[in-house]
Amino acid sequence: MAEIGKLSIRHAGKIYDPEGIHVVALEDVSLEIKANEFCVVVGPSGCGKTTLLNTIAGFDQLTGGDISMDGNLLASPGKKLLPGPDRMVVFQHGALFPWKTVMWNITCGPLKQGHMNLAEATEKARELLAQVGLQGIEGQFPEALSGGQKRRVEIIRALMNDPKVLLLDEPFRALDALTKSVVQEHLLELFDFSPKTIFFITHDLEEAIFLADRVAVMTTRPGTIKKIVAVDIPRPRDYRVLTSDRFLELKAELGDAIYEEAQKAFEAGERELA
Amino acid sequence: MTLQTQTGKNSGKSVGADSKESPSNRFVRWLKSLRSLNLLLGVTSLGTILFVWEFASPLGIPGVKDVPPPSSVIVAAMDLLVSKQYWAGWGLSFQRIGIGFLIAQLIGIPLGLIMAINRFSFGTVFPIIELLRPIPPVAWIPISIVFWPTREQSVVFIVFLGAFWIVLLNTIGGASQIDRKFKLSALSLGSTPKDLFWKIIFPATIPSIVTGMAVGMGISWEMVVASEMIAGDTGLGYLLWQSFQIGAISHVIVCMFSIGMAGYFSSALIRALGGLATPWRRLH
Repeated sequence: MAEIGKLSIRHAGKIYDPEGIHVVALEDVSLEIKANEFCVVVGPSGCGKTTLLNTIAGFDQLTGGDISMDGNLLASPGKKLLPGPDRMVVFQHGALFPWKTVMWNITCGPLKQGHMNLAEATEKARELLAQVGLQGIEGQFPEALSGGQKRRVEIIRALMNDPKVLLLDEPFRALDALTKSVVQEHLLELFDFSPKTIFFITHDLEEAIFLADRVAVMTTRPGTIKKIVAVDIPRPRDYRVLTSDRFLELKAELGDAIYEEAQKAFEAGERELA
Repeated sequence: MTLQTQTGKNSGKSVGADSKESPSNRFVRWLKSLRSLNLLLGVTSLGTILFVWEFASPLGIPGVKDVPPPSSVIVAAMDLLVSKQYWAGWGLSFQRIGIGFLIAQLIGIPLGLIMAINRFSFGTVFPIIELLRPIPPVAWIPISIVFWPTREQSVVFIVFLGAFWIVLLNTIGGASQIDRKFKLSALSLGSTPKDLFWKIIFPATIPSIVTGMAVGMGISWEMVVASEMIAGDTGLGYLLWQSFQIGAISHVIVCMFSIGMAGYFSSALIRALGGLATPWRRLH
């Protein structure tokens, strides 16, 4: 299988409002993500995780360095922003179109891009919905679904486009702990079933270790990569992993790094408020 | 007093009747008893008002003594209900509302959408709107009579003004407050600018447009009545004014309630259309 979805982030920098208040969101971020790797970025709130994701997605411009995928330049200072179906995003608070049915939401991408006809798209959508335990909801409007259902539908909407990389911005943040663990397992099932490069942002350390091949810890503002740890827990994983010795070792190792940054972020916040 | 003891008995019965009843069932029954209580309260208060109104004028209470009692209003209603002029008034007022309101939507909605997505048109048109909008539509009546060749057109114009500003501002507001994430994910999914407008911006604005229409319809009725009184020679507003001029106060009151009902029917129509246009919001 060809290497599809290899992401290279080289010395990426992002400064908001350079002439005014000059906020450095990203500073010299370098990260190589292999094809079909599940990479999770953890860091305190406001560390620039979402900015990094937005620049990969083509929603936001870099002010330094560059990002490329499979050798094609995605982002560099002054490059025209081009979001596209090769990099699908699942948003923090969800972005299913409330005025369209679940089926319309899921099939609109491939229909728009002309990859599938209506019958093919409908069949594929049903297949994926069944895989995450969501049969029979295609005619509903998103608002009628629960939080966990919406997240799954949105992940499926992204996967329908067969993206080279899937970008997830704290997708499970608003879910309760039980729903969260179910949806996490569904995501892992989908990943094991058809591997794909995944760039996943969270500030939940357990979630990061449970899901990832590698976990990258980001520093507080200005955001840069502090530490990268490979998670050598074999797949497929289920909830029992959470209490394994290796899991706890990794949690301790990463926990120190993150706590330090969280502390710094908190103090910086206190200073800003003072 | 009677009321209290009655409801006390009722609630005692529903709790004690059978303790095996499911909680949801009991809740529904409680709700029903509440509804019948409200009905009783409503009928009582309305009845009291009618009673006081009926017998207040012989007592010579200032302000009320010149108002005809409900019995003579009913007689006047019988009188009007068989008159051709009354029903023609309904028809003509509705027609003016229909035309003026419709033109307001046809201009206001597209203009609002264009202004929300195009900075140049917003910058050009918004100052004009801010200059004209604070003028109450009623203040436009004289100029409108001078400007438009017929009285009919000036009445329709005033109705149009009543609905226009509110739908325009609601459309601009709704379309410029769409969450950025919807546009971004539409772009990722391969949307063209045309898709972005028709699949995202327009549907996302419909709820605000419907709100604007509902408020605008209310103002339109105020305007049609005011302008018929001043500039019209037909319609419910004119009939009301004419009745006043000849001292037929009972007829005035019938016209007042008729206009209230007409406004109510129009709002119900807008609500129904709004519900059809926003099926995803029927869940709320």
